[in-house]
Amino acid sequence: MKLPMWRRWQREELDEEIRSHIAMAVRERVERGENPAEAEVRVRREFGNEVQVKEVTHDMWGWTWVERLWQDLRYGARMLAKSPGFTVIAVVTLALGIGANTSIFSIINAALLRNLPVPNPQELVVVGDPSRVHSLSTGSPQTSIFSTDLYRELQRNQDVFTGLAATSDLSGAPTVTIDNGAPERIYGRLVSGNYFSVLGVNAVQGSVFTGEDDNEHGAKPVVVISYKYWKRRFHQDANVIGKTIRLDGYPLTIVGVTPKEFTGEVVGDYQDMWVPMMLQPQVMPGRDYVHSQTSYWLTLIGRMKPGLTFAQTKSQLDVTFSRIANSGFASKYTKSEQDDLKKAKLEVYPGGKGISGFRKRMSEPLVLMMLVVGLVLLIACVNVANLMLARSASRQREIAVRLAIGATTSRIVRQVLTESVMLACLGGTLGLIVAQWGTKALPFMVPNRSGEVPLDTSPDPVVLTFTFLVCVLTGILFGLVPALRARRVQLTSALNSEMRSGSVSGGGASRWSAGRILVAAQVTLSVLVLFIAGLLMQTLRNLQQVDTGYERHNLVVMRIDPRVAGHKGSNYIAFCNDLLQRIRSLPGVTSATYSGNGLFSGSESDSGIVIAGQANLSEKDRQVFNDTVGPNYFSALNVPMLQGRDIGPQDIGEHPKVAVINEAMARKYFGEQNALGQVFHVDDDEHVDIPLQVVGVARDIRDHSLTDAIGPRFYTPVNLQDLPGEIKFEVRTTGNAESVVRDIRGVVKSVDPALKIPSINTLDGLIDDWMDSQIFVAQLSGFFAGLALVLACVGLYGISAYSVAMRTRELGVRMALGAKPRDVIGMVLKEGFLIVLVGAAVGVPAAIAGSHLLRSMLFEVTSYDPRALTVSLTVLVAVGFFASYLPARKASRVDPMVSLRYE
Amino acid sequence: MTKRYQNRIEILQGTLDLLILQTLQWGPQHGYGISQAIRISSGDVLDVETGSLYPALHRLEREGWIKSEWKVSDNNQRVKEYRIMAAGKRQLAAERSRWERLSSAIAGVLKPAEE
Repeated sequence: MKLPMWRRWQREELDEEIRSHIAMAVRERVERGENPAEAEVRVRREFGNEVQVKEVTHDMWGWTWVERLWQDLRYGARMLAKSPGFTVIAVVTLALGIGANTSIFSIINAALLRNLPVPNPQELVVVGDPSRVHSLSTGSPQTSIFSTDLYRELQRNQDVFTGLAATSDLSGAPTVTIDNGAPERIYGRLVSGNYFSVLGVNAVQGSVFTGEDDNEHGAKPVVVISYKYWKRRFHQDANVIGKTIRLDGYPLTIVGVTPKEFTGEVVGDYQDMWVPMMLQPQVMPGRDYVHSQTSYWLTLIGRMKPGLTFAQTKSQLDVTFSRIANSGFASKYTKSEQDDLKKAKLEVYPGGKGISGFRKRMSEPLVLMMLVVGLVLLIACVNVANLMLARSASRQREIAVRLAIGATTSRIVRQVLTESVMLACLGGTLGLIVAQWGTKALPFMVPNRSGEVPLDTSPDPVVLTFTFLVCVLTGILFGLVPALRARRVQLTSALNSEMRSGSVSGGGASRWSAGRILVAAQVTLSVLVLFIAGLLMQTLRNLQQVDTGYERHNLVVMRIDPRVAGHKGSNYIAFCNDLLQRIRSLPGVTSATYSGNGLFSGSESDSGIVIAGQANLSEKDRQVFNDTVGPNYFSALNVPMLQGRDIGPQDIGEHPKVAVINEAMARKYFGEQNALGQVFHVDDDEHVDIPLQVVGVARDIRDHSLTDAIGPRFYTPVNLQDLPGEIKFEVRTTGNAESVVRDIRGVVKSVDPALKIPSINTLDGLIDDWMDSQIFVAQLSGFFAGLALVLACVGLYGISAYSVAMRTRELGVRMALGAKPRDVIGMVLKEGFLIVLVGAAVGVPAAIAGSHLLRSMLFEVTSYDPRALTVSLTVLVAVGFFASYLPARKASRVDPMVSLRYE
Repeated sequence: MTKRYQNRIEILQGTLDLLILQTLQWGPQHGYGISQAIRISSGDVLDVETGSLYPALHRLEREGWIKSEWKVSDNNQRVKEYRIMAAGKRQLAAERSRWERLSSAIAGVLKPAEE
């Protein structure tokens, strides 16, 4: 054994010391007159077992465990190499199990656990709602997202941050052209001048924004680009600083490039560039949020002063905010808005992990997936444990020999465990590779706004540590069973040649051997996984069949913003009507309409209303969701009118005079009375003299969620008073959505080439986006259920084959005594079935109990959903039957004479 | 068989340390010499087995109570000599007082039986 230099030197020294001891003892005896040869013999005998003395002395140095480990590792490697079939199957099984866990954990790490790559992320604080990443609000002040002046006021009055920055989405599908090239869609953020200094990010080329580039007085036309964008579009050209790009036509000079690992403060969305927020009106023509008092578009990020805790910061901010709410600053708001402001609580969260819309939606599903892959790994462990058990049976002899020459049982247990951990680590290494490929595939199953989730899931130290721990635990887990078995090996019977067939000590012949119990456990775990998958898939199916109240297929939704092309006021309405006419006359279009909020488009409006004759409505009851819609809105969507009429073209005009309400609103506010003819108005200064008369009651429809209860809603015709910004066109098609989409794009281009289309989708596509987390868990759990089933099948087959092989003699005897092949098959099948039965008996109640935990992710599925249960059980029984049948058939075919002679 | 040696070391461990340290108090000595010295001064009663002696010597050295050095003896043989260090002297004093307390305790138990 090759030892490190200094260890060898230590041993040599000890050898010499002992040699000199013996030499001195011999010399003394010789001096006393003994024969030198005799003296040497006597001295050596007196000295005792030299080797043993050396061993014990070596122990004193305390390094023995390292040497022993090394020995165990080499021995284990040799053993594994000796049975390549076993090793390959075990490693692949483990790779699948460990790889799946690493995959999911990488996503969890990237989305939920990892800090932003900035110095001292624990000092960062988000003011506002960290999940409202792409939000824009108009109307009354709120504390989840901020207006420019509220931001500045907060910035001026706060004393807890070394800096408070603001960020917002560069919305509206911005495109960038470089040197008159083709426009490319980019993703970016509008940020305040102190954004980079608050986060602590420095440029790798050029420099980042300073307070001079953007402050309350204005901004320079500059832009900072990301490393990825620099690589993609400029091929890491060092001369990029000073180059000009055009963002929707507006020229910006590149002043810096951010480091490779920095992709912005939004997790789950990569950013190409950062633009000073004060340039917003220039880069988003037609919309001015910077100077608008009623536009809420900023999320704030601050860095706490050193020494402050999060709790302190939060309470100080609350004080500051209430001061602002009660100060002269608030006097520009209406009375009710001021009251709201005074009652509002600032939303403050730790900001070290950035902001993310993706995170909130995916937390629960990801944790659930972690549980599922954990179960799959357990199933894989059981498989490998069984494999090792079968192998250990053939190693009894080797173990017996080792015991006979003096090894302790604990040493043998240690060695078996070392071998299994080694196996697990091999599987884990392969699993890492599997995970790399798997994780790249997974995020595409988790779509977000931009269509992909560029989470950085490359393995980082956290993931590698996790994988290593999983390997070690896995190895110990499945190694424990054969290791403990090894302890019980009895020397005499093991050395006896009888060992090789028939009775394995420790009970291969007993009904409930370790192997059988393990497989039953596998069945239990598989029931769990199958049941969970069944529930989730059923949920998805239920969601897909929810009645939305209108025909949801064959509907195309387009979002555009006419303001970008300069349309304002009555020109805006005329433009929309013109476009509507053109779209209606396209082939393949049965009807079309437009609306401010539309269907599943992520925007909502709510307003307080005052109903004539109902003076004492509560605060909450006064808020009603609403929409402004185009002519024939309901008939275009095929929503039946229960009473009265639809909004007509004659209603579109300067002031709204009529409204259509939905069933829920009619029921809530007018009860038994006839809702038609009732009058109400929106409760604010601009609408107080604009009464709305109810001219129609429409069926309740689902317009933004498949699962929420449908609340009251009213629809007013699009009018100059409440001009929507971005408007949605809903187009009913006869079938081929693709060609209609193409035609619509063509129409828009012909009407106004300057107009961009931020998005155009089928409603089915939008609803799928809404359901993305449910689709994710259903698909993934289905995949893992399949994997679990394969592993369980392999396990069951293995144990059947093994037990049949062990009992070849017994079966031979039975058949010689007259048993028919049919009986033998029946016997083996019965045993296999018994294992499945026991496993299922434990698994089913566990699954039902466990499914209670899934409550929040299920939809219209009971926790003991009979369909999922029956399917799971049927599949398992079928698998069990199939897995036991093959070995059974093989056994029944064996010639009794051959099996009797089998040794 | 390894077990036997280990047990012996554990039982005698404290006492063996005491004997070795005391012997080295008289001056540096090699392993063979230490075992001879203990045998002679105990009147041939205590015959320290090498299986206990060498592990003990290396352990004491690891603790820092004694230090070893290779020297050449009078008849040109290389021997590894050990000598006691200051920390060893302190340990020796501690072990002595422990031993004295132990032996007087045992004497106290034995005395009444005589009466």
